[in-house]
Amino acid sequence: MLDHNMMLLHLTMGNLPFYISDLPVVLEINLVMTMVFVVLTILLLSLILYLRVHKNSQNHRRKKLNLFIIDFINNYLFNEDFDKEKETRNFKNRHLRTSLDKQIAIDQILVFAENLKGESSASLKEVFYGFGLKEFLLTKLTSKAWYKQAKALNVAYQLNLEIPMTLVDSLFNTNYKKLRQQAFLYYLHMSTENPLGFLDKVEIPLTLWEQIYIENGLKSYDGETPDFSKWLHHDISSVVIFCMKMIADYNQFEHIPILLRFLHHQNPELRQQAIISLRKMEEPELLPILIHNFNEETLLIKHEILKTIGKIGSEKHLKSIGKFMVTEEPSLEVEFKKVALQKNLEASHFLGANFNTIKYDNLPY
Amino acid sequence: MKKKILVIEDNPMVVKSLEFKLTKEGYEVTTAIDGRSAMEELETNSFDLILTDLMLPFVSGSQLIEHIKKNYPTIPIIVLSTATQEDIITDAFNMGVDDFISKPFSPNELTLRVKRSLGASKKNIHS
Repeated sequence: MLDHNMMLLHLTMGNLPFYISDLPVVLEINLVMTMVFVVLTILLLSLILYLRVHKNSQNHRRKKLNLFIIDFINNYLFNEDFDKEKETRNFKNRHLRTSLDKQIAIDQILVFAENLKGESSASLKEVFYGFGLKEFLLTKLTSKAWYKQAKALNVAYQLNLEIPMTLVDSLFNTNYKKLRQQAFLYYLHMSTENPLGFLDKVEIPLTLWEQIYIENGLKSYDGETPDFSKWLHHDISSVVIFCMKMIADYNQFEHIPILLRFLHHQNPELRQQAIISLRKMEEPELLPILIHNFNEETLLIKHEILKTIGKIGSEKHLKSIGKFMVTEEPSLEVEFKKVALQKNLEASHFLGANFNTIKYDNLPY
Repeated sequence: MKKKILVIEDNPMVVKSLEFKLTKEGYEVTTAIDGRSAMEELETNSFDLILTDLMLPFVSGSQLIEHIKKNYPTIPIIVLSTATQEDIITDAFNMGVDDFISKPFSPNELTLRVKRSLGASKKNIHS
């Protein structure tokens, strides 16, 4: 391999001008390498320079067009003598020729939409359609780049633009998390009757961030709060967990019987969320089931049971648990003693002598 | 004679829109993009109303309001801000602002409130 490279180098150097090829080999190699790197450096500098000039010209264009668009929109919104149809057509033909121009126009319309409300919102939509930006948005939505699709969805969401739902449906199970979030938000925002309808089509688990996004989206949803029990039998456990959380947050007490059934579910995550939700709703029927199941439960759930007794239980409930406590679980012992302390009880009365290892003074609160 | 309004706002789009709308309504509008230039404008010109944002560069909206209330107590102030927290709005009213408009705002509603504040200040001066 080394011989082969040396041969190539010799061949290359064989074609060099005489004043270079007459030099010693080391110098020849040095000279050739220097020339190669000089050429590479020039190419790289040219590229940087080109990118810089291109960026500057884009910024210059953006600045100039922004002023034109602000002026146009102000006239459109506030000038009664403005010939909207004619001026829109003229502006579109004169100023919105490239993708960059259209993107700048969309960005500026979004700034207006963020700051103005009332009758102006409808006019901004008219400007958007008049500029032919919806077609541009749909092209972006069908593009292969996920970030372009996400941005297009965000624009449609912010401007309340109706786009074919078939284009959005296909994005509920994409691997690009940001794009998926935008698809959820768009669906939720545009829905009039079933804001969580997209959950029926979800086949990939919901991440915690997605759940937070959906929860926040629901807070600003104007329509009727959905019946979260519809998805309590969904195939994806994160969807079920989310709905159980929402049942408690939105006080849908009528679904307590279904949540109680989840206390016997084979999936511990679902059992845990059922306990948390029922505890939040202070359901008294919860405690006898939890105490009955305590010994068979996982450590995490045992903690939840103790927290539940702390919140809605009594001395009697704590006493029932005491006999199942085992010394191998010190964190549970701490939880037990915390609950006892909350209820002004002496924990050692409920536990065996071998449990008196932790002093109240050392408890972490 | 046209009423003079000082608009203090750092968002160019909002500045341009307010300037356009209020000029169309027959007011003389001067704009300042930060608290410092607003103070300079106040020193050199007299105004009938001030429309200001709370989040401003260099001198914050609250500092500016304090300055105006101390040095030009008769000029009514309308705050135009994205803040919706009750304590911020209460603080603004405690400082003596006449009205508080939250963003996003309706331009027509803003014009009505400007008209009302100018009318109220005229009544106060007469009484």
